Amino acid sequence: MAEIKIHPLTRVEGHGEVIIEVENGEVADVKFAVLAVRGFEKFVQGRPAEDVPYIVSRICGICQTAHHLAACKAVDSCFDAEPPEGGHKIRWLMHIGNMIHSHALHFYFLAAPDYVVGPDADPLQRNVVKIVEDNPEVGKIAIELRRYGQDIVEATGGKAIHPVTGIPGGVSSPVDPESRDDLLSRAEEMIEMAYEGAKVGIEAIKETLEEYREKHDIDLLETLGNIETYHMGLVSDGDKHEFYDGEVRVVDPNGEEVTRFEPEEYQDVIAERTIEYSYVKHPYLKDVGYPDGIYRVGPGARLNVCSGMKTERAQELYEEYVGEFGECVNYSLTINWARLVELVAACEEAKMLLEDDVITDEDECKEDYEPKAGEGVGIVEAPRGTLIHHYVTDDEGRVKEANLIVATTHNVPAIELALKKTAKKLEDEIVELA
Amino acid sequence: MSKATIATAQLSSCVGCHVSLLDLHERLLDLLEDAIEIDYCYVLVDQKEIPEHVDVAVIEGSIRNEEDLEVAEELREAANIVVAVGTCACYGGVHGLANLYHIDDVLEWVFKETPTTDDEGETPEEVVPEIFDYVRPLPEVIDVDYMLPGCPPKPESIAEVITAIIEDRQPKLPTTNLCEECPREKEDIPIEDIKFRTGQGRPDPDKCLLEQGYPCMGPATVAGCEAACPSRGLPCRGCNGPTKQALDQGAASLDAIASVSFETGVDVEEILKGLVDLPGKLYMFSMAASLLKGHRDVIFGSKGE
Repeated sequence: MAEIKIHPLTRVEGHGEVIIEVENGEVADVKFAVLAVRGFEKFVQGRPAEDVPYIVSRICGICQTAHHLAACKAVDSCFDAEPPEGGHKIRWLMHIGNMIHSHALHFYFLAAPDYVVGPDADPLQRNVVKIVEDNPEVGKIAIELRRYGQDIVEATGGKAIHPVTGIPGGVSSPVDPESRDDLLSRAEEMIEMAYEGAKVGIEAIKETLEEYREKHDIDLLETLGNIETYHMGLVSDGDKHEFYDGEVRVVDPNGEEVTRFEPEEYQDVIAERTIEYSYVKHPYLKDVGYPDGIYRVGPGARLNVCSGMKTERAQELYEEYVGEFGECVNYSLTINWARLVELVAACEEAKMLLEDDVITDEDECKEDYEPKAGEGVGIVEAPRGTLIHHYVTDDEGRVKEANLIVATTHNVPAIELALKKTAKKLEDEIVELA
Repeated sequence: MSKATIATAQLSSCVGCHVSLLDLHERLLDLLEDAIEIDYCYVLVDQKEIPEHVDVAVIEGSIRNEEDLEVAEELREAANIVVAVGTCACYGGVHGLANLYHIDDVLEWVFKETPTTDDEGETPEEVVPEIFDYVRPLPEVIDVDYMLPGCPPKPESIAEVITAIIEDRQPKLPTTNLCEECPREKEDIPIEDIKFRTGQGRPDPDKCLLEQGYPCMGPATVAGCEAACPSRGLPCRGCNGPTKQALDQGAASLDAIASVSFETGVDVEEILKGLVDLPGKLYMFSMAASLLKGHRDVIFGSKGE
């Protein structure tokens, strides 16, 4: 048996490896291994629950805010401390700021080099620096949107990376009115930039697809990661697209609803299977079983589970997306397109929240809490998908049990399935390489 | 002048230090234009092999598994200068708290006992790098030339270290404790009690949080974050790691609290009780570097290296 190993995986956060096994002139198996585990679910045990949102943000330096806030929601429930309107909206705005930074980072810095510099280019040239050199106007959009997102998180969370203000029952301090005014004055320009960037990005995706069709006679959408899976994501208010707060909706590969659930019911729907060659477990829909119950989360899944966007410009781009691919999309290469739609939505949502004076109100940011025994589940949509934090506390308000299902974990089985299917489609080339 | 060649790597950590580097925004582009060339950085660049030689290796993260150790040793071999960036690299970081448990218990919980794991749970053993019994900071396994703690360090601090290395001078970094940059006023009154949990109550906005009865680690923590937490009404939890003068962050913290209490005859036991979680409060980010290294022998016996 011959093996092709791809290691390290580049332009991603985290440590991964892909192993393609070739036997008797065929692709026998493809494994996607995640190579790191730190054990947060264990070492938060014994810690006071109010420290946990602060500890778990360190799970991910890109989407720290999502972890901070999913944990805050779970600990609110443990201590029966509901944030007042201001606290709720400050947290929500913090989340949106992180979404803007992360989506801008993910598309422009990590993904775009494949479209703009191109898959055939020298690997050393295929990075964000080359993009900025060749397309300074795109580089400006990437940098400005990231800066805006990080500035929002700093204003609401106290720190751009690993925010700190989230506490049981709200946030420790309101948004400084001066910061609010500054951020609000930039909001319209950011919506414009996100929109312009989306147009340019979508065009680049289309051109790449076109080029492959013409030059190599390959339909990239069908070839790379076209898999049928279920899709999961938050929705609210008539199944509208949702980043922060709502009900979780699950649809099948055709877009038909199979279930919907409240955060505290997640264990009824999801189970996880350990994998002997990977430090990440494979989640699946309990009712369907493993591996048939594999599902996806993230921008593509969120557009699949929702009935439309909350805001105007994003809705326009959503309609274009649905017009192009239909209401439930199973391709993988369309996910970045969906991400660009969401980036516009996030900028519009930020403006809406910044316009609300309640975020600057000292008396509206928290409700006092008392540590106690309890249990809570918090769910938010992290930039890369549904994020679940679940804690049980003891009488002193210390964590007794913890369970986390993080966004990319949900996607790991689907990523592996996509790699398997792609390797089969490109079998002749892969056998030759091995 | 030719550019300095740089390799960056993320060992066990969250990648936040790399994101902080990106938060230099256009200043990073200026650095790339004028002074540095990134030859290896798997997070952003499709280069899969660590180059044979680079001028500077910037390493984020601590040593949790075999692969972390291999990458650290390879970069030490390749680089003239090694910079440990972030509190994980310098002192082990927040996941050093896993050192409070036997590693088998950590894996057992994660892969078998969590409520959503189905009945077929096994601890992964193929392909994945072997996990060590405990987390170690970078300086424990390779020689490190510069330490830049912070969770993450501020973008400007990262730029300052890189620039100083290129200009062949000592970087200007904070050395005092957090209290020196904290806007809150200290009255040097005795600490009678830790009466509040973090985020509880309505602290006076201008006065020292420790003196108001909050569990603040500021006296034992190095400055560098402009007192981000105390400025937002929250006590410091020590994410920057200890000051250089302090051998051990937790001991220094206890010392700061106890020295005041002894003078007044306050019962230290009472104060410790108020901390609720002694190891977690005193060593949230530096357990792996603490003088309590005995914990390794106690927990692991001869199994520990």
